[in-house]
Amino acid sequence: MRLDEPKVDRFNVVERVTHWLVALSFLYTTLTGLALWSPRLYWLAAVFGGGPTVRGWHPWGGVAFAAFFAFMFRAWNRQMRLEQDDRRWLRLAHRYAVHNEEGLPEAGRFNAGQKSLFWIQAAGAVVLISTGVVLWWPETMPRALRLTAILLHPVAAVVAIGGLIVHIYMGTAAVPEAFRGMIQGWVRPGWAASHHPKWYREVTRR
Amino acid sequence: MNTTLVKAISASPAPGPPFGPGAAKQTHTVAKLIDTTTCIGCKACEVACQEWNDQPFLIGAFEGTYQTLTDLTPSFWNLIKFNEAEQEGHLLWLMAKYQCMHCVDPGCLKACPAPGAIVQYTNGIVDFNAENCIGCGYCMTGCPFDVPKLHPRTKKVQKCTLCSDRVSVGLEPACIKACPTNCLSFGTREDLLAKAEARVEALKDEGRSESGIYNPPGVGGTHVVYVLAHADHPENYGLPRDPAIPWTVALWKGPLKWLGNLVLLGGILGTFFHYVRYGPRRYKDETG
Ligand code: HEM
Ligand code: SF4
Ligand code: SF4
Repeated sequence: MRLDEPKVDRFNVVERVTHWLVALSFLYTTLTGLALWSPRLYWLAAVFGGGPTVRGWHPWGGVAFAAFFAFMFRAWNRQMRLEQDDRRWLRLAHRYAVHNEEGLPEAGRFNAGQKSLFWIQAAGAVVLISTGVVLWWPETMPRALRLTAILLHPVAAVVAIGGLIVHIYMGTAAVPEAFRGMIQGWVRPGWAASHHPKWYREVTRR
Repeated sequence: MNTTLVKAISASPAPGPPFGPGAAKQTHTVAKLIDTTTCIGCKACEVACQEWNDQPFLIGAFEGTYQTLTDLTPSFWNLIKFNEAEQEGHLLWLMAKYQCMHCVDPGCLKACPAPGAIVQYTNGIVDFNAENCIGCGYCMTGCPFDVPKLHPRTKKVQKCTLCSDRVSVGLEPACIKACPTNCLSFGTREDLLAKAEARVEALKDEGRSESGIYNPPGVGGTHVVYVLAHADHPENYGLPRDPAIPWTVALWKGPLKWLGNLVLLGGILGTFFHYVRYGPRRYKDETG
C-alpha cells in the first residue's frame, strides 16, 4: 500500500473500539443464546463450555453488550436521527439494494439504512436487557412477568440478529472497503464521495 | 438408574414407539390417587419422601398454619397444604397433598432447552436429570402447577420423581407406603381412575354432591389424580382451576420457533443470494 495514499478519516479510535466491543459482546451473547434457542444448535453450548456455563455467562454477555451499546448510543444517537431525506431514502431502499440509485437522496455520514439498524439495535437492546433480567432469576420473578419475557426475549433477539446478519453482510461483502473504515479508521476519498457524498463534502470543505 | 422406557425427552425429537428389550411388556401407565376426603394431614408422606430421597429436614417459619413449609423447595418435594376456605357460611379446613402432577402433556418438558434434562417415561412419570440440567429455570415457567424449584447453589431444578427409582423395580412410591389412612394409592392409571370414580359415587351417595375427580384435561390429564369433596372449587385446595401449558410458552416453542428460524435462515440465504445476483456496490472514483 502506498504511504501517501489519500485517506479520509471515517471512525476515530474510540468509535472503532466501541464498535468492536459491541460486536464481540453481541456475538458472544448471540451464539450462546442460539444454543438455548434451538436443540439443533445446542452443539454451540459445547463450543462455549457446556450448558450450565452457557446459561451462567449468556446474561453477563448481555449486560456487557448493553453497557457498550449504551456508550455507542451516547456517541451516535444525534448523528443517527432520521431526517426528511432519510425517510425518502427508506421508501426507495429497494433501489439501493439492486444498485440502481436513481432518485435516492444523498447520504450523510450514515445512510438511512445504517441509521435504521442503529435504532433497531437500540430498541432490541432495551427489550433484550429488560426481559433478560426477568429470565435471569426466574425464582424471584413474578410468573406473569416470566411468561411475557419468555416470548419477548426471543422475538427481540430474532429481530436484532436478523438486522445483524444484514449488517455483517453489508460491512464485509456488499460494501467493499467499509470494513477497513471500521478497523483502520480511514476510507478512500472515492469511496466516501460515492457512499456518503454529503458527509464527504462536509469533511473536505474544512 | 431406572430401566423404564422413554416417551419424550426435552429438546429432542420424539423417540417414537418404544423399542428394544422390554418394549413389549409395558402396556399401561401408572398413577397416584390422592383421596383428599380421607387425608388427616398427618404428613407421614412428607417424612417418607424426605427419608427415601435422602433429603434434609428443613426448618421453616411459623405461618399460623399446620403446613410444614409455605411452598415446595429444591429439597422438599411433597407438601401437605392446609387451606382454609369459606363456603356457604361454613368454614372448610382442606388438606391436600401437593407435588409434581406428572402431566400427560408436561409444560416443564416443553419449555426445557437442554436435551435430556427432562424425560417422560412411557409409564407416565416425568423425571428431571440433574446431569443434563443447565439451571435456566424455563421449566418453572412452563409448569402450570409451579412445581419445579431451582436450587440456588447447584443451579439444578428438583421435584418429585414419583419415586421413578422405586417404580422401575416394582415398588410403590415412598409416600404411598407411609400413608396410614390409605388415602394415597398407586397402580395403573386406568385402575385408579376407576377407583376414583367409585369413590366419587360413594361420596355423592353420602350427599356430598360437589365431589369429583381432579384430572385436568388442559394438560392432557395427570398421573397424579385427586378425589375432591369440593371439586367445583379446586382452588380452595391450592389447585389451579384450569391448568394448561401457558399460551406464551406454547407460542414460543411452536410457531415462533419456526418463524424465527425462517427469518434467520432467510437472512443468511437472502444476503448470500443477493451477493450472487447483484454483487457488491461498486463506485467510480470521481475525486481524482
Ligand atoms: C462481526 C460483526 C460486525 C461487523 C463485521 C461489522 C462491521 C461494520 C462496519 C464495516 C461498519 C462501518 C460502516 C460504514 O463505514 O458506514 C459498521 C458500523 C456500525 N456497526 Fe457494525 N459490525 C459488526 C457487528 C455489529 C453489532 C453486533 C452491532 C450492534 C448491535 C453493530 C452496530 C453498528 C452500528 C450502529 C454502526 C454504524 C452504522 C452502520 O454502519 O450501520 N455492528 N459495522
Ligand atoms: S406438574 Fe409441572 S413439573 Fe410436574 S410434570 Fe407437570 S409441568 Fe412438569
Ligand atoms: S432448569 Fe434444567 S430442567 Fe428446567 S428447563 Fe432449564 S435445563 Fe430444563
